[in-house]
Amino acid sequence: MCCMCQIVPERVLKRLAADRSYSEEQRKNFADTIKIDTELRRLRTQAARLTRVAGLMAEAPTVAPAPAITVYDCNHGQTLPGAQILNPATSTDQTARHVFSETKSVEAFYAQVFGRNSIDNAGMTMISSIHYGVRYNNAFWNGSQMTYGDGDGSIFLDFSSANDVIGHELTHGVTQYSLQLNYTNDAGGLNESLSDCFGSMFRQWEANQTVKQADWLIGKDIMGPSARDDGYTCLRDMADPDAKHCLSPQPTKYSQVRPGMDPHLSSGPPNLAFCTIAKAVGGNSWDQVGQVWYRSMTGFGPAPNLKMTAFADRTRAVAAELYPNDTALARAVDAGWKKVGL
Amino acid sequence: MGTVKVEKIGGLAGYGLPGSRLKSSGETATSALSPADQAWVEASFQKPPRSQEAGNERDTHRYRITRTKDGRDQTIEVPEAQVPHALKACVTDKLL
Repeated sequence: MCCMCQIVPERVLKRLAADRSYSEEQRKNFADTIKIDTELRRLRTQAARLTRVAGLMAEAPTVAPAPAITVYDCNHGQTLPGAQILNPATSTDQTARHVFSETKSVEAFYAQVFGRNSIDNAGMTMISSIHYGVRYNNAFWNGSQMTYGDGDGSIFLDFSSANDVIGHELTHGVTQYSLQLNYTNDAGGLNESLSDCFGSMFRQWEANQTVKQADWLIGKDIMGPSARDDGYTCLRDMADPDAKHCLSPQPTKYSQVRPGMDPHLSSGPPNLAFCTIAKAVGGNSWDQVGQVWYRSMTGFGPAPNLKMTAFADRTRAVAAELYPNDTALARAVDAGWKKVGL
Repeated sequence: MGTVKVEKIGGLAGYGLPGSRLKSSGETATSALSPADQAWVEASFQKPPRSQEAGNERDTHRYRITRTKDGRDQTIEVPEAQVPHALKACVTDKLL
């Protein structure tokens, strides 16, 4: 960058300042001009730097703040969202405190592990409603918020008491804002499976469990006394989808998936594939395999009617892209999907 | 006026699915329903509500509602959000 842009060049001014044919006062003026020009050059350089920095700051992406987390009390009615609990973190309602802290933890899980800012990756407020209905045996995502029933106390306990259930419901929101999967046929099964995979990963992440330490059960903590007395330990088992200890056993092969099948059934094969792959790779599920699943879910835009074969192939490609030198991972991903016929 | 049989299907726990150990069902006399609910039943059998898959609800239940008319069973499936409370309240959850 040229900084010598004054009308009389510095070397000329120096020669004039030393030329004794000029009076002492004139020579002093020439010397002062050199000093002033030097300072002006410094100021111009500094101004240019400031301009560049300001330009860079203007172009820098603004970081969205962490999402707000709100909790509402349906007070056993079925009108959503219910009455807002103003300070859920310090509420006298244990369910409100738990839902607030676990939702905050899911937010931290997605932020720290996957770099995602809330459900929509843009800081969307996370809304939960608790005490929905009377002895209500379910939890659901309604397109804009999570909702939890208290359970009947016999077959089921409070649905919000299980962190994998909270992770499952919140992930339905993440899917809605990424792949936008439909809720029928292959896409429906993938939709449910992603919620189980990320719900289970969240549960393992909170407990700092390796894939070998994890039990891979979905809904273990909501099993009520009568269900446990009958030998049921979970809703679903990702490691053994058709096991007798599941309240809702699932197919284990893609060939068993039928058109129109409920997504909670057709999610069995992709659940088993994820668990098999994660176990083969070892370590923490959310590290490599979780990253492959997350990128496959969020890195390609909406695909409402995505087939399971296409998703399986996508994870194979993403594994090779994210970890090009990891042949063990590539083999594990391929073998896991082949085990379920994909 | 007959009886309306109601079964709750699906949800996070998978009620009533093939192989499921959970069932939730019940019935109610049509005459026990309010006039508004009776009208809802009649209208729903005339024109069944949209399927659940069209919206963004996930893990919500569906209700399978059956009535006998002219000696024949008629069955519709309705998303949970559209079913009147009186019909939802007539089912009982059971372990098989």
